[in-house]
Amino acid sequence: MIELKGVTKLYQGQAVPAVQNLSLSINRGEICVFVGPSGCGKSTTLRMINRMIEPSSGTIEIDGKNIMSSDPDSLRMGIGYVIQQIGLLPHRTIAENIAIVPRLYKWPKEKIKSRVNELLEMMGLDPAETRNKYPSQLSGGQMQRVGVARAMAVDPSIMLMDEPFGAVDPVARNRLQDEFLRLQKEINKTIVFVTHDINEAIKMGDKIAILNQGQLIQFGTPEEILTDPANDFVENFIGYDRIVKKLNLYTVAEAMKTSFGLVDEAEFSGINAKIPNAEVIFVRDQGEQLVGYLTAEDLSAQGAQRLTQVARQKRLSFVKLNTPLPDALSLMLENDADYVAVLDGDRLCGAI
Amino acid sequence: MSWKFFSEALFQKAPHALLVHLLIVFVTVSLAIVISVPLGVLLTRRNYQRFGIVALNILNILQAVPGMAVLALALPLFGLGLKPAIIALLVQSLLPIVRNTIAGLLGVNNDVKEAASGMGMSARQILLEVELPLAMPIIISGIKTTTVYVVSVGTLASLIGAGGLGYLIMGGLALFRFEYLIVGAGLGALLSIFFDWALSYLEARITPPGIQVE
Amino acid sequence: MQFVNQNSTTIVEYTQNHFELVLTAVLISLLLWVPSGILLTKSDKWARRALAIANIIFCIPSLSLFAVFVTIPFLGLGRQSALLALVLYAMMPLMRNVYDGVKNVDRNVLEAAKGMGMSTGRIMREIRLPLGMPVIFAGFRITVVMTTGIAAIATYIGERNLGRFISEGLVRSNTNMIITGAILISVIAVGLDTFLGLVEKRVVPRGLRVRR
Repeated sequence: MIELKGVTKLYQGQAVPAVQNLSLSINRGEICVFVGPSGCGKSTTLRMINRMIEPSSGTIEIDGKNIMSSDPDSLRMGIGYVIQQIGLLPHRTIAENIAIVPRLYKWPKEKIKSRVNELLEMMGLDPAETRNKYPSQLSGGQMQRVGVARAMAVDPSIMLMDEPFGAVDPVARNRLQDEFLRLQKEINKTIVFVTHDINEAIKMGDKIAILNQGQLIQFGTPEEILTDPANDFVENFIGYDRIVKKLNLYTVAEAMKTSFGLVDEAEFSGINAKIPNAEVIFVRDQGEQLVGYLTAEDLSAQGAQRLTQVARQKRLSFVKLNTPLPDALSLMLENDADYVAVLDGDRLCGAI
Repeated sequence: MSWKFFSEALFQKAPHALLVHLLIVFVTVSLAIVISVPLGVLLTRRNYQRFGIVALNILNILQAVPGMAVLALALPLFGLGLKPAIIALLVQSLLPIVRNTIAGLLGVNNDVKEAASGMGMSARQILLEVELPLAMPIIISGIKTTTVYVVSVGTLASLIGAGGLGYLIMGGLALFRFEYLIVGAGLGALLSIFFDWALSYLEARITPPGIQVE
Repeated sequence: MQFVNQNSTTIVEYTQNHFELVLTAVLISLLLWVPSGILLTKSDKWARRALAIANIIFCIPSLSLFAVFVTIPFLGLGRQSALLALVLYAMMPLMRNVYDGVKNVDRNVLEAAKGMGMSTGRIMREIRLPLGMPVIFAGFRITVVMTTGIAAIATYIGERNLGRFISEGLVRSNTNMIITGAILISVIAVGLDTFLGLVEKRVVPRGLRVRR
């Protein structure tokens, strides 16, 4: 757990503190996102946690221990640190870059080597191919992954990430975010994440701290912040599409209907009797492939022999359980469909 | 041209002159490196940065002084011989290395240093493992400038009795013995070109592969 | 001081000679190396060759170069040899800096100028040369200071200039003479360097000044 108590940073020669009397606590295994406009003090706060910057007053505790009581270098060795510019050492190979902190800990060579391979694989990079490359030979997205791998090298329980995906294009950023969230489910780190992008904050954060002019404006879960913005600043910062953004918090799994019908084409005669309460009925052919769906209205309006045609005319699309809700909705708009099928793996499990 | 004088110059006089010349070059350049690199490092450390400009200005002014004048001034100050010559040459050997060390260290990307420090590398580790390796090509280039300078001005060291290849050239000029002159001048030129080439090669070799790729 | 008073005429004569030689050498160098530096930007191949040659010449110890020219019959002892050597030395700092300055102009600026319909000659005059000025002038400054210094060495091939005080002083073990010569040259060289440093600040367009 990271606990900030009344932390203030006043730079020499400046009248207004960069960070002012900031208190908050970040729970173990949580991603806490600091978000705000540039100059709001979010990076300064992050950098105070590993003593890259020393606070002017207030205390920061990690697991109950004041960070000022430990040596800055060993403190930093125990905290993963990723910055936007990544800062890979250009004269070291990828493997050597990742091995920096393990080497500081004097791990044996074999252990370092296997850890590096493990991390590269975890990051979706081929170890054999990537190990001996130099940073300049990688793409921006790959370098970002190496940066994250390097920060995780000794499996620190805390990671500080300062706009880690800021330097890559939106498509790659999206993918990196997804991958990282998936990874976080396994590794369960305590993460402090800085961004200026509220959408990234909503997507990544378990908790969001909105900062402005060095002050903490609101601290809470994405739902809380979207539902109940503390003031006009937060409301403006989130933007007018607050409702749409809130949808982002939900996945298909949370919104789908689990009552649906499933029939084979051949059995159309007795449908009403068999599945009386379903709003939607999916239709499959003899090969058990889904081919279309019927609504309750279709059933009452059409004769049984035409049902196959009606079902097949409708474009059937599929989404996964963890697809964000807005994606599913836009798919429906695109296909002009009333329903989409939700799949859990190969199994049909719901409808929207 | 007479073959007799030519071979006399080349086989009897030149080896010793060349050795003395090499001795001057190695001693001066080694001392220059030992003094300049730490000085350059010191002048880029935060607490000493403000002295950097002053130090560079002083060295810059010294650099404008013609080498011949520096050598000449060494005579009344330190007397005749090898040591005074080396001291004189050393004065102007410092700037290229100090300047390039500073430029090289300041040229190291701040993000890289920030990341290294964020991972818990100590200031010393960052200097030895990050800053110096990355600055090394530029430092070597400074050493090259210095070496070529010392080989060149070193030919004037014979003025204050330090010997070296200049001894052959001066002798040749004084006696109108062109064979001596050609041998001395030719070896001086070859030596200088050799060092330039060798250090350029080292510079290219030492440039970390990750940087060459770009 | 006494030495200076007693030999004021000689000092004036030697200084004059020194400046004459330096001035002539620098003028010839400018006429030769500035245009060639500009021309070299047209061909990478020739640029590489010419710069390699300039570098090799620059490496040759000055005493050696003077000495070698003396042995060439139609040059001989005296001014031609000295001039030729000085001009050749200037090739490195001057031609190289002109080339670098003109060549390394921001690609985007060139692209924009081309896009506005500027001709190649116009781009050279209005963009490349002014933008390359800091580097070119730095080369000029080095050339002047360096030529002043090396010219002193030409005393060994018969030039009667400030270097002569040093060479004669050494032969006669006349410390006063040595010191006078050495300090005079040093003051002149450092003075020129400082003066040109000040000019550099004026000549270079505002906003382009090379930070040192």
